[in-house]
Amino acid sequence: MNGFNLSRSIRTRQLLQVRRMRKITEFEPRIIAFTCNWCAYSAADIAGISRFHYPANVRNIKVMCTGMIDPGYILRAFERGADGVLVAGCEIGDCHYISGNIKAKERVERLKKLLHILGLEDERLRLEWIDAGDGRKFADTIENMAGKLKKLGPSPFKKEVKS
Amino acid sequence: MAEVRIGVYVCHCGTNIAGTVDVEEVARYAKQLPSVVIARDYMFMCSDPGQALIKSDIKEFSLNRVVVASCSPRMHEPTFQRACQDAGLNPYLYEQANIREQCSWVHEGDEATQKAKALVEAAIRRVSHHEPLEIKEIPVNPNTLIIGGGIAGIQAALDIADSEHRVYLVEREPSIGGHMSQFDKTFPTLDCAACILTPKMTAVGQHPYIDLFTYSEVEEVSGYIGDFKVKIRKKARYVDEERCTGCGVCQEKCPWKTDSEFDIGLGKRKAIYFPFPQAVPMVPVIDREHCAYFLKGTCRACERFCEAKAINFEQTDQILELEVGAIIVATGYDLMDPTPITQYGYGRFDNVITSLQFERVVDCVGPTGGKILLKDGTQPKSIAIIHCVGSRDQNYHTYCSRVCCEYALKFSHLIKEEIPDADVYQMYIDMRCFGKGYEEFYDRLSHEGVNFIRGKVAKVTDEAVTDEERGRLVVIVEDTLLPGVIRVPVDMVILCAAIEPRSDAEEVAKLLKINRSIEGFFMERHPKLEPVSTPTEGIFIVGCCQGPKDIPDSVAQALGGASKVLSLISRGKVSLLAATAKVDEMRCHGCGRCEEICEFHAPKVINKNGVMVSEINEALCQGCGLCAVTCPAEAISIRHFTQEEIKSMVDVLTES
Amino acid sequence: MTLEDIIKETKTYYCLECGKCSSLCPISRHNPSYSPRLMLEKALTGFEGDLINDQELFSCLTCYNCSLKCPADVDYPLFMQKVRTLAFAQGRYGVPADSGILQSFMRLMLNPAIEQRRLEWLSDEYRISEKGNILFFVGCAPYFEFAFEDFEAGALNIAKDSLKILNTLGIEPMVLADEKCCGHDLLWTGDVESFRKLAEHNARIIKESGAKKIIFSCPEGYRTFKFDYPHYVDLDCELQHITEFLAENMGKGMLDFKEVKKKVTYQDPCRLGRHLGVYEQPRKLIEAIPGIELIEMEHTRDESICCGTSAWTNCDAYSKQIRTERLLEAKATGAEMLITACPKCQIHFRCAMVSKGEEKGPDVEMDVMDIVNLVASALEDNGSE
Repeated sequence: MNGFNLSRSIRTRQLLQVRRMRKITEFEPRIIAFTCNWCAYSAADIAGISRFHYPANVRNIKVMCTGMIDPGYILRAFERGADGVLVAGCEIGDCHYISGNIKAKERVERLKKLLHILGLEDERLRLEWIDAGDGRKFADTIENMAGKLKKLGPSPFKKEVKS
Repeated sequence: MAEVRIGVYVCHCGTNIAGTVDVEEVARYAKQLPSVVIARDYMFMCSDPGQALIKSDIKEFSLNRVVVASCSPRMHEPTFQRACQDAGLNPYLYEQANIREQCSWVHEGDEATQKAKALVEAAIRRVSHHEPLEIKEIPVNPNTLIIGGGIAGIQAALDIADSEHRVYLVEREPSIGGHMSQFDKTFPTLDCAACILTPKMTAVGQHPYIDLFTYSEVEEVSGYIGDFKVKIRKKARYVDEERCTGCGVCQEKCPWKTDSEFDIGLGKRKAIYFPFPQAVPMVPVIDREHCAYFLKGTCRACERFCEAKAINFEQTDQILELEVGAIIVATGYDLMDPTPITQYGYGRFDNVITSLQFERVVDCVGPTGGKILLKDGTQPKSIAIIHCVGSRDQNYHTYCSRVCCEYALKFSHLIKEEIPDADVYQMYIDMRCFGKGYEEFYDRLSHEGVNFIRGKVAKVTDEAVTDEERGRLVVIVEDTLLPGVIRVPVDMVILCAAIEPRSDAEEVAKLLKINRSIEGFFMERHPKLEPVSTPTEGIFIVGCCQGPKDIPDSVAQALGGASKVLSLISRGKVSLLAATAKVDEMRCHGCGRCEEICEFHAPKVINKNGVMVSEINEALCQGCGLCAVTCPAEAISIRHFTQEEIKSMVDVLTES
Repeated sequence: MTLEDIIKETKTYYCLECGKCSSLCPISRHNPSYSPRLMLEKALTGFEGDLINDQELFSCLTCYNCSLKCPADVDYPLFMQKVRTLAFAQGRYGVPADSGILQSFMRLMLNPAIEQRRLEWLSDEYRISEKGNILFFVGCAPYFEFAFEDFEAGALNIAKDSLKILNTLGIEPMVLADEKCCGHDLLWTGDVESFRKLAEHNARIIKESGAKKIIFSCPEGYRTFKFDYPHYVDLDCELQHITEFLAENMGKGMLDFKEVKKKVTYQDPCRLGRHLGVYEQPRKLIEAIPGIELIEMEHTRDESICCGTSAWTNCDAYSKQIRTERLLEAKATGAEMLITACPKCQIHFRCAMVSKGEEKGPDVEMDVMDIVNLVASALEDNGSE
């Protein structure tokens, strides 16, 4: 296990170095991650404690529960130029408030339908359940999402009128 | 509103942050942001001088908001909130930026500094919107519920009850004692489990401050810290506990037998039975499934012979309602059923048994009277002990069950003691002897003629290839220290099966609104610093329900849980959550969407002078925010997590 | 534009301070502290800051109940629209409902880079043309459909049934895939810049389509194109609400209604009624359906009461009270169904019927339907033959 993680971490560092060298030309997407206090935010902390490096494109906003995330916050992020939004909470069934994450899922799905009409790529709004102890999954999710967003390029909503 | 005056403190955390993030630059950047009066960087903000810095600045610069950029708020938010409070600032006027776990430890160079600046700026913007919140207090009910009567539950119960506070101990089996009562000797000291456990069990049974409910289960839990309401189902045992003298005549006269759960199928018990001789309470139970009276309507032998007239076939389940201030969960573990690991032949071969079954075999009051015997009654001449069965195995459980190495050593010793010429093989991956006296115990066993084979067993088979193997079990394993696959013919195989979460851990977690870790054990609030607390205030987890552990660790946790509860009781009151929902009645439509969606029954629509408006019960509100998002009229907001606060962070973080 | 200019343009100078506006205002009826007169007075006495920071600046429904009866002919709704522009410039925008998701959508739509997928609902069932003279403006219906999923907004059905009716009349209108929000709500909450962009976009693509006539099922879009676009863009098209168009074409014998036995009442939407003066056509259309009995509410035509909120802003306890009052009035007629001609009226009334608490307020439950849906249902089975 330890050997595996160590080599993984070295690989991530190498990737980061390569990324830094290419940085001048490469588009760096901005991800806003709404993370619930009990699971995903804790997983992000564990990722730190375990030194699982991941791209610095993400900015975490801690909420008590994914059920607290108003679709208005997600839209606000897109309105302001975010390239992707991650909503991350506890596994279904593990919500500290029983059903907050289930409601969050319904809301995100509804919002996805609306954003679809608006022409937004589905990958830009992502919902993940990340266990409190699963730092690996948090780091991998960001790595993966940043990669996908790089391929997609800047959000179509970017650089527009701000209110 | 008074002018916002913010103090910003950027922590070096030694080199943990400063080694990656340019902390001085972050502080410089913060200094020029609007409303920031002072911004500093300092070696260790959480140290006493670090906190003193905040306190003196609050006074000197009349700060009314504080931001610390350091580790995770899950780590030190309370520390800095307290520092603010000490300096006369409401603790909710504080905000923390996590530039260690979520920045310096995971990013590098400019990117890390850039992100740290953004996180600090977002915290500064948010803190400007913070409002002082009032922390309300409610009294704590001094009674405690303990779920599970194994060694951890027993220990916690005794410690709390000794302080002369009421404990309700609920155990689902007919007797307390748990797994420990099934063990023979305990490692590494080899003292007998019954000798050290029985006095504690008796003490529980007789304690004036412990109300013991055996053969009972918790059905419903509502309320909150300090004021939980609990429903307990006391299952009918068909024996009047008040009348029964525990003489045992009923058990003796009962003509019906079935497999004993306590002996894990190795022995028999009657339809009316004491699970084991030292049971507490000393009151038998009638097993409906196997009682002739319940099955066929005749017999009632026990009733005829009971002089105390304690048998009562009419008894029904009782529902008891209790009120407690805190709950300790000590529900223990299940031993993994090794049947699915088909290569070890458990269930197929008579003489492949689990470690717990072997405990019963060597126990002097066990099914064989303490004699180590094969299924056919003969004495084994060679025994293989297979380690890590289902533990440290990606196919089953990745974790280490922590106790197997030690009890395997103990088994070797017990076997050697009874059958000195027996060949004992330990097939292990690593010997993990981490506890006090464990390495010494390993060392001692190494000199007792036990064969240690380093290799994970591939297979246990009865297919013989030599005469020596015929009629015996053959263990196929590579001895990785003397490379080469070997076949070890033995008479008995003991599987050190993994310690698993209880099969109903999921339901229990739901009942109590506590979380589980990936492997399914109940999750503590912090892996190091809050080992017995859960995210749900007032509920504590002790013993193996939190993860595999040995008896000393279980007892230590039980003491920890007891001390947590006693400190609650001793303070006598508890502070309510301040960051709860509030309703703006001028905006409320009274539509009841909030009432419908809330899991905690906090909002309620009431008729206020002919107008329907929602009202929040703050003692029930958990501050999860579901209602606020659901409200179409924006009438509900969550204190400390208002729309302005979150949106202000979104604005900063999307742009910097 | 300064406050001074606004006062001039809206003829606020003529205000007699008679208070007739306040006594006619549906909000003032429930919230005595709200007064259009006092708002004007703040402007006239030069308290611009007080006016702009007033919590209730964004409460006005702009329903024109006051202005139509104003003895001094002050255009109060226009005054509101313009003052909100000043307020918006200072970062004030009232309290958007649903935490502003609809406003966010309107602004996200501004970006020229987006490619909407707003016509995925358009199946083969509906016949449209690539080129032609007539354009049907779909409006926000595809978005409303999901935004108000929880209580069935029915907005998309209005668009679908409009096409169905037009097809029945043998008209296969153009429908634009890149149509954007008309900007009504942004204009009325002071975001003129965004409004202008939307107007320019819509005007451009409509010009490119070559349409000569635009038909609306939403009175807000109609009003915006008719009264507001001319100040920003040059678009020379004939504009009609679908009820006007149908009333005009009904006599041609192509709409063959089956009998619908129902007592209904009709809600004049503020935009269609008081703003645009379309009172008769919807009634004519309803009454053309055999079996239908139209019963008028106590407040009707130019005295009709607004559905309680406009521009998704400041939808508060008083909005709910206005809605409740209106629904009770509709129920009091004995009608089985409330017919309206604006998708937002329908959304607001349906939302007001949600009652999920254990304790209930007055029973306002009633069928609500758009006039387009009523007409389409009367056409069913008969087809176009």
